[in-house]
Amino acid sequence: MLKYTIKRLLQSLFTVFLIASIIFILMRMLPVENYFTEDEAMNLTEEQQQDILEAAGLLDPLPVQLLDFYKDTLKLDFGTSRRIQKGALVVDVIGDKFTVSMRNGATALCIALVLGVLLGVGQTLNKEGIIDHFGTAFTIFVNSVPTIVSFALIMVFGSKVLGLPTLYSSRKVMMSSIMPIFCLSLGSIAGYALWTRRYMVDELNKDYIKLAKIKGLSRGKIMLKHVLKNAFVPLTQYLPAAFLSTIGGSMLCETFFSVPGMGPLLTTGVTKYDISVVQTLSILYASLGVLGAFLGDVLMIIFDPRISLLTKEESR
Amino acid sequence: MKKQDELFRFLEYSPENAERIGYSDYSYWKSVWQNFLKRKSAVFMAIVFIALVIFSYVALAIAKYDYANLRIDASLSFISPNSEYWFGTDNLGQDYWCQVWYAAQISIKLALIVVLGECAIGIIIGCVWGYVRQLDRFFTELYNIINNIPTLIYMTIISMLIGQSFATMAISMISIGWLRMARNVRNLVMVYRDREYNLASRCLGTPIWRILTKNILPYLVSVIILRLATSIPQTIGLESTLSYLGLGLGVDTPSLGILLRNSRATFMQYPYLLVFPAAIVSTITVTFYLVGNAFSDAADPRNHV
Repeated sequence: MLKYTIKRLLQSLFTVFLIASIIFILMRMLPVENYFTEDEAMNLTEEQQQDILEAAGLLDPLPVQLLDFYKDTLKLDFGTSRRIQKGALVVDVIGDKFTVSMRNGATALCIALVLGVLLGVGQTLNKEGIIDHFGTAFTIFVNSVPTIVSFALIMVFGSKVLGLPTLYSSRKVMMSSIMPIFCLSLGSIAGYALWTRRYMVDELNKDYIKLAKIKGLSRGKIMLKHVLKNAFVPLTQYLPAAFLSTIGGSMLCETFFSVPGMGPLLTTGVTKYDISVVQTLSILYASLGVLGAFLGDVLMIIFDPRISLLTKEESR
Repeated sequence: MKKQDELFRFLEYSPENAERIGYSDYSYWKSVWQNFLKRKSAVFMAIVFIALVIFSYVALAIAKYDYANLRIDASLSFISPNSEYWFGTDNLGQDYWCQVWYAAQISIKLALIVVLGECAIGIIIGCVWGYVRQLDRFFTELYNIINNIPTLIYMTIISMLIGQSFATMAISMISIGWLRMARNVRNLVMVYRDREYNLASRCLGTPIWRILTKNILPYLVSVIILRLATSIPQTIGLESTLSYLGLGLGVDTPSLGILLRNSRATFMQYPYLLVFPAAIVSTITVTFYLVGNAFSDAADPRNHV
């Protein structure tokens, strides 16, 4: 197990390294003129601009820049933001925002997990009944209606009928977070409900459940102790990744409700040519993605001791 | 309960009928079609979908204003739907009817092109990925890398490097979307690759492409159709999200996302600006999703008689 873990971590490290390099090279492909704001481009002379670029090391050949980038990253020096918050350390810029994103995201995830699994269980218990049809309709709606339309509908409904604020404000955090959190959880509720139902129905048809029924176990006990427990295992694999990705926030949701989160940071970084922010974020997201996949496998082993990663690796 | 003799009756022996029962004229696509027609709700949805697509052309033809010569006139802004402006006017005083239908067409066109492109590339690469063992590591690593870089960063970089247009949008969406399809196909190809009949086929010297197209691909049809069916709504959704965020189509090309973006500040006061485009595009995506699901069920050979 230890050997496997080390091997896997080394592999992940290599993936993160490749991703960071690719993003670095992609960012250098953007026209360097974007480095300056419109004001600066107007006021600075050609020579001054060249000097600034020279000082920032942006005119060096690409391999040299890449090596500098590796050195800085190894020293955990992620640089300073240039345009988003001028002169602030990138770590601070991200630090301010990710708590907001993570608080909303984690709350939404918990709500989605509870409601989604409950809906899935309800659908299985009430198969072909009202709850099942409602759940199916809900899933179809969420999966096929464009996200932005459902967000807009929630926004209109929430503000007209319930009187909730449409824009996020730091003074009324609780009230103004309700709609963003609800929007964030909507998609995951449908996902968890769909898969819970699917896995539970699969599980219900297995022989050991028939045996449990013949033995005279109560329906509730069968459902909770056997069916749900086994059906939950495949779901656990994606939980850590889902949880970690809440750090990244949601671009659409946060733009839509003006939440000061991480979501829009990446694209703003690219459009404003804030290289150090983009690079740090891409390293962060890549590491989180790789880590999430690894933790998911570990969690699955904990929930279901029959699964072993080692044999899976060999059989491939 | 009916009586036994009402349910069963004796037949004379007839050689023609015996012949007919013994002969099977099973054809895959015919059974798919028959199975699909059995689902009345899906057929109804398909009719709704096709009718909407056709009507989007009719709607533009009968519109009182042509999309190409819309004029900005602030005095005409925010007129509620009436007999002159069937869907009212937007904040610039432009007719909303032609904008909405034009946007619907753009969304459908883009989604169809992107999804077909994704399918073609995804299936070909997925087959190679799944079948050739030596390439598995390479493609898996490629998948990990592309999958771990956020989609938005590609879109932003592409829109900054090349600019925003319909073709750029389509190409950039295909260049990322094929991955999911390829992954899906690869997993299935790996399942069927080493079945006994393929082993036998290989021993007899069947070329690889023939094994792939004749022995393996038919098993994947229903999964591919399901992927298509979910991909179209996803593509329309992604396009509108990107356009809303200013990363997708240019501002002068109307699409659902652009319409919502333009009316973002005002659709709270004038809900019709939200309702019309949302209703039309949602109807298109929901019907397509349901039809695709039904068709994929019908395409599964296990559901055939």
